[in-house]
Amino acid sequence: MKRPIILLVDDEVAFANNLLKLLSKRGYDVVVEYNGADAVKRVGEKEFDVIILDMKMPGMDGIATLKEIKKKAPLVEVVILTGHGSIESGIEGMQLGAFDFLMKPVRIDDLQEKVSEAYRRKLVQGERG
Amino acid sequence: MELKQEIDVSVKQPHLEKKGKERYSKLYRKFIFLTLTCSLVPLFLVGWGIYAYYSGFSTIRIMDYFKNQVDHHREVIEVFLRERTSDLQLVILTHSPDSLQNHGNLRRIFSVMNQGNSFFTDLGLIDDEGKHLNYIGPYDLMDVNYSKTVWFREVMTKGIYISDMFAGFRNAPHFVIAVTRIDGDRKWILRASIDTEYFRSLVEHVKMGATGEVYLSNQEGILQTTPRFSGKIMEKAPLPVEFFSEESSIGIYESDNSDPGRRFPRQLVAYTWLENPRWKLVVKQDYAEAFRDANQANRAALIFLLFSLLIILVISLIITRHMIDIIKKQDKDTDSLNKQLVQAGKLASLGELSAGVAHEINNPLAIILTESQVMRDTIDEATGLNDEVKNELIDSLSQTESQVHRCSLITQSLLKFSRRNKSQREMVNLNVFLEEVIRLMDGKARGMGIHFALDLEKDIPSFSSDPSLLQQVFINLINNAADAHEGKPYGTISIGTRADSRRNGVEITVGDTGSGISPEIMEKIFDPFFTTKAVGKGTGLGLSITYSTIKAVGGDISVRSTIGKGTQFNIFLPFNPPDNDNENRE
Repeated sequence: MKRPIILLVDDEVAFANNLLKLLSKRGYDVVVEYNGADAVKRVGEKEFDVIILDMKMPGMDGIATLKEIKKKAPLVEVVILTGHGSIESGIEGMQLGAFDFLMKPVRIDDLQEKVSEAYRRKLVQGERG
Repeated sequence: MELKQEIDVSVKQPHLEKKGKERYSKLYRKFIFLTLTCSLVPLFLVGWGIYAYYSGFSTIRIMDYFKNQVDHHREVIEVFLRERTSDLQLVILTHSPDSLQNHGNLRRIFSVMNQGNSFFTDLGLIDDEGKHLNYIGPYDLMDVNYSKTVWFREVMTKGIYISDMFAGFRNAPHFVIAVTRIDGDRKWILRASIDTEYFRSLVEHVKMGATGEVYLSNQEGILQTTPRFSGKIMEKAPLPVEFFSEESSIGIYESDNSDPGRRFPRQLVAYTWLENPRWKLVVKQDYAEAFRDANQANRAALIFLLFSLLIILVISLIITRHMIDIIKKQDKDTDSLNKQLVQAGKLASLGELSAGVAHEINNPLAIILTESQVMRDTIDEATGLNDEVKNELIDSLSQTESQVHRCSLITQSLLKFSRRNKSQREMVNLNVFLEEVIRLMDGKARGMGIHFALDLEKDIPSFSSDPSLLQQVFINLINNAADAHEGKPYGTISIGTRADSRRNGVEITVGDTGSGISPEIMEKIFDPFFTTKAVGKGTGLGLSITYSTIKAVGGDISVRSTIGKGTQFNIFLPFNPPDNDNENRE
């Protein structure tokens, strides 16, 4: 069975690396980018199933990155992850096509569940498409 | 001890209160001084102006009246004397001396002269040697020789003579008028005595109020008539002797203090001189009576002035007190507003700080949590570890994750405190809403031996508000009320609602029978992060959020507490909240 390909975008290197380890062990192919611009570039190069996107990043922030990603890969599912705690930014992200949002600190089980839901929807969307 | 704290009430500071009282007292005195100065200076100026003008005017008027009186009486007396002199001249010039020597003729002439009024007492014809040639009258004077008398010498020289009052041969005060006729080298004198009573009545019967008197005196100051009060005819007149003057005069006469018989210490005196004889006609009146009307008018003006003064004083006091009350109220409002601004500013700054802190803490927490989970994975995969070590490590990781979760709850509260959300307005039926909140909290309260006592006024109209914000407020308050019973086996949380038609809103009370709030704590309870609960049991944000929320929906909150008896929060919510709460602190 194909391993879901995840793009993890977060400027917190330690956090991103931990998630890389945790998700990899749970059967995901994980690519990490530490800023929005690199993430957008990477989306243009490779197809991802789910993108885990931090909202508050230096340079291109989560919302701007999300817009660019959705331009390049409209079918990719995005789970927003934010430490900012603003419901508005989560809702705004969802209005721009994000699958859902989670607040930091997040338990790996909760994240895995959300990513799985997103992946399932990606698959359903892909079959329809 | 009962304490009450409005949100905007600060700690009582006696020295500041004293200072404030002194300031208002000073302000009060200043206002009174300014008001009275502004009112009384014009009043006194106008009053003084009217008084000075009226006094001057009335003095001139009264003096003119006196002068007119004296001139008028002089005219009357002079006319009388001229007429009597003319009577005698007419007789002597129209009748020959021979005819006048005839006793019957002279008697007939005498009776004609006295027809109508008895002006003359007697009438006699005298030759140039002073001997009586004929005499009609009541006295026996035919043998009297007048050649040595003053009047004889004067009439022989001047042709016409009117004497002063004298006693003469008849030994009674009288005066005579004598005229001469010259025929060749001979002179005849027609002499008549004037009826003294009639003449005196012309002068003495003139009335000038209760204290006025009129009299005549000659050039030597001897009274020619009897004054009403000051002496008798032929006595020395009370006024000093003066020389003849054609002008009439008026002045004020102050009597000698040493005079035991003085009746009027101060008199208004007008006098004028008769041309012939040189008699002084004097009109006198007590000064007080002469100026009585003017003085009465002045007294009335003074009473009016005093009355006006009193009214101005009372009005000034009332107005000033009213103004001070307004200033006090404005000061209080300003003070209250300033304190609210300070409180709002404090909350706003802390809100921003909280948001930053929450965000900065959330990221490390997320890392700690993921590190913990990585370690769990590592432990799961580790083969060399025995079960005891594994379990101990997993317990430690669980404890770490539990503490991360606790920190996460704190940061969520911080974010809640700082976050601005759009207010979701809908119609709220307050009583139904409160009953729902109480149902939510009932389980916790029962567990602590606490029951709810409700006193909800019926028919409170539904009003527009944000139920989710209000829910948070009442859950906070009920939670605090329940926690205040810690250490007590049972207690009551009372919740009441009352419509407040005056303020167009509703008053909600949330009271408890808990331990109460001490005065030191009272002033801090609405400050963010202030809590009396044990570490880990409260963030200290509940009442800050409550305060912000109530303010956000246009309401007000106050608290009163009695140590050992309990605490009561009073919340006011308006039926028509302001529209500017689109962005509110949650």
